[in-house]
Amino acid sequence: MEAVSGLLHGFAVALTPANILWCFVGCFLGTVVGILPGLGPAATIAMLLPLTYNMNPAGGIIMLSGIYYGAKYGGSTTSILLNMPGESSSVVTCLDGYQMARNGRAGAALGIAAIASFIAGTFGVVALSFVAPPIATFALSFSSPEYFALMCLGLSLVVLLAGTSLLKALLAMLLGLWLASIGTDLFTAQARFTFGQASLLGGVEFMLVAIGVFAIAEVLSSIEGGEETQMLPVPKGLRNLLPNMEELKACRFAFLNGSITGFLLGVLPGAGATIASFISYGIEKAVSRHPEKFGTGAPEGVAAPEGANNADTGGALVPLLTLGIPGGSSTAILLSALILWGVRPGSLMMQDNPDVFWGLVASMYLGNVILLLLNLPLVPLFAQILRVPAYILYPGILGISVVGAYSASGRLFDIGLLAGFGLLGWLMGKLKYPAAPLILGFVLGGAMERALRQSLTMSQGDVGVFLSRPISAGMLALAALLLLTPLLGAVNRWRMRAVTQNG
Amino acid sequence: MLAAALLLSALSPAAAEWKPTRPVEFVVHNGPGSGNDVFARALVQVIEQEKLMPVRMQVVNKVGGGSTTAAAYVTEKTGDPNVIAVFVNIWLTDPLVQQAATSKLLDMTPIALVQIEPALVVTRADSPYRSLADFVEAAKQKPGQLKQAGGSITSRENVVRQLLMNHSGARWSFISFPGGGERLAALLGGHVDLMILDPSEAREQVRSGKLRVLAQVAETRLPDFQDVPTLKDAGFDVPDVPQIRGLVGPPNMPADALAFYAELFRKTTRTARWQDYLKDNQFQDAFKSPEDTRKFLADFQDRLRGLLTAAGVKVVR
Repeated sequence: MEAVSGLLHGFAVALTPANILWCFVGCFLGTVVGILPGLGPAATIAMLLPLTYNMNPAGGIIMLSGIYYGAKYGGSTTSILLNMPGESSSVVTCLDGYQMARNGRAGAALGIAAIASFIAGTFGVVALSFVAPPIATFALSFSSPEYFALMCLGLSLVVLLAGTSLLKALLAMLLGLWLASIGTDLFTAQARFTFGQASLLGGVEFMLVAIGVFAIAEVLSSIEGGEETQMLPVPKGLRNLLPNMEELKACRFAFLNGSITGFLLGVLPGAGATIASFISYGIEKAVSRHPEKFGTGAPEGVAAPEGANNADTGGALVPLLTLGIPGGSSTAILLSALILWGVRPGSLMMQDNPDVFWGLVASMYLGNVILLLLNLPLVPLFAQILRVPAYILYPGILGISVVGAYSASGRLFDIGLLAGFGLLGWLMGKLKYPAAPLILGFVLGGAMERALRQSLTMSQGDVGVFLSRPISAGMLALAALLLLTPLLGAVNRWRMRAVTQNG
Repeated sequence: MLAAALLLSALSPAAAEWKPTRPVEFVVHNGPGSGNDVFARALVQVIEQEKLMPVRMQVVNKVGGGSTTAAAYVTEKTGDPNVIAVFVNIWLTDPLVQQAATSKLLDMTPIALVQIEPALVVTRADSPYRSLADFVEAAKQKPGQLKQAGGSITSRENVVRQLLMNHSGARWSFISFPGGGERLAALLGGHVDLMILDPSEAREQVRSGKLRVLAQVAETRLPDFQDVPTLKDAGFDVPDVPQIRGLVGPPNMPADALAFYAELFRKTTRTARWQDYLKDNQFQDAFKSPEDTRKFLADFQDRLRGLLTAAGVKVVR
């Protein structure tokens, strides 16, 4: 088999002492970057790029890719401990991860995140090694109507993310969709909902919304609740700091779901890790035997999205390495790095630069092991953060959030926005509006609108295009079914009541 | 009084030798890793390698609203000799189409035009179009049914499309995608028919037999694509729409500081290292002095205004 001999060659490249070192450096930096909100992998890779000019291309790409997938491991840490997503793909992890921490299972949540990341990350690399070319062809068959249907399917997950009131969840989602439409419209170059503010022309940055409605809102409501006296419980003893067998067993399906969902959505250039994490969370809740536990600290709710955002990296490298198509900002920089070293990703890369292609793939097996070994021992250490008294912890969270928001764009306006979203999140919490549907609407809104308009331009206004294509029609049908489930439940309850009254 | 002072400062040798004494901020309007960021960091690297500057140059990303956040930041720094920025076409077009974008490039201090970036008109290698004329003819047969993938409606890709349509009377649609990767995927997947692409992005796809180059958007043929006709050679005598990249300082930048930067970048772009960078990326050297850059920009802005209006974009200034 070609892939096996390629991989063996790759391991020969990846396991040289120098490349093991570069892999470790990349994974370590990635973990750090993942933990810090604001500083993302794309920015870090760009800043380190000049240092790699004189490196061997294989060593260089091994290190830079390590930053890319390493950041996905680290992103969950602050989500779980502080309700502050370190990366956009770790926003969903806040939902159950932070609740687990509040239940005294912070260590378990961190451990599950690391294990899910390892399993799914490795799955992604295995898939990248063996099925890259055919899966890349599949990705190309996705056109705008399919993307639109996919985004609709994603939005229909709101039914599953709703708490007690579906109406409130839908309203929160609409708010998210509206926020996503702020800024300059790509299709007409017109400004929408910018209120004459030049600072809003580029739209609202996702991380500002996420950090605002999760982290800042949490700090505000804690202050209001006078929680400084009751600190979060941190159990003593190493055994209580790691996931127990029961929790791991509950995550069995989540590991698989996260792996497959993450990889498949990672391959699609228009989707990405954040969308993958939401969809895998939705699938997990949909098939769960106890969906009511989600949002209160279900370990599967951590395992699925953390798995998905790590399997996504393996998926995203498929179009990059086999077609030369970058799906997101991090892969775009990896592409420019490769071009800089004279390596041209594309269908000929496996033949022309086997050292770089297979060296990178092999190093990712190694990198996932390094990341697991790096992250698991840190779990007990990180869990101690919760012992920090509130009068230090809360100002600390605020400080990190503000610095993160400013460092991403370099403008004060964003700090004002962050404060605004913090207040919004706090108000929503008080009025019992769930925050997750807002984030869902915001994440999917832009992509859905674009896909809709692209499809209609392509079909010259014919709506039938969504139903005449099998994949798109199938996904839309599934979305409709999901949206109808609560209605069916209501019909059922009404029927039951009628039956009992008559009887 | 003022004139005398200016004359004095121009004559005084001390003034001519102005040098930055603290780190210079180098503003880029999009994020790390973007084309402009890579351009700025490449310039800084050559300057450092050749030791052309006594202080450090720090790339600062001021992201948001196309160019507007960065342009507003530079405008705020009126008279500051320690801030410079990268400008590209959208620094001209944003104020033309956005009411809220009030910081105009020509109110700042242009330092130099550095390069012009050509592009290639490509289609899938297995498409029936062997030349641009084939494509245009097919578009005439099926008005509005053929598709071109691109970015924003204000981008050069759309302006070139508009010019070609006006010239030939054919019509085809323009589908906006936010990312270059998505555009390329749509073309390779056969969901659109045409795309205008950077030579460095297109080269590998052409080599691996996935894309066919129909024409090049350039004044003269690129060294790596000698057998590909320019738009004019292909029979479409449309005005050239260059994609430009250059450097600008804040409004009222002191004359001695302007002279320093103009000389700095003249030296930098004459080095072998920089010429290699241009060649690797298939960019065309277009270095111009501050006065010529200003003249060029004023001219180009007027042309863009007309082209955008013709392309159906609402121009507000």
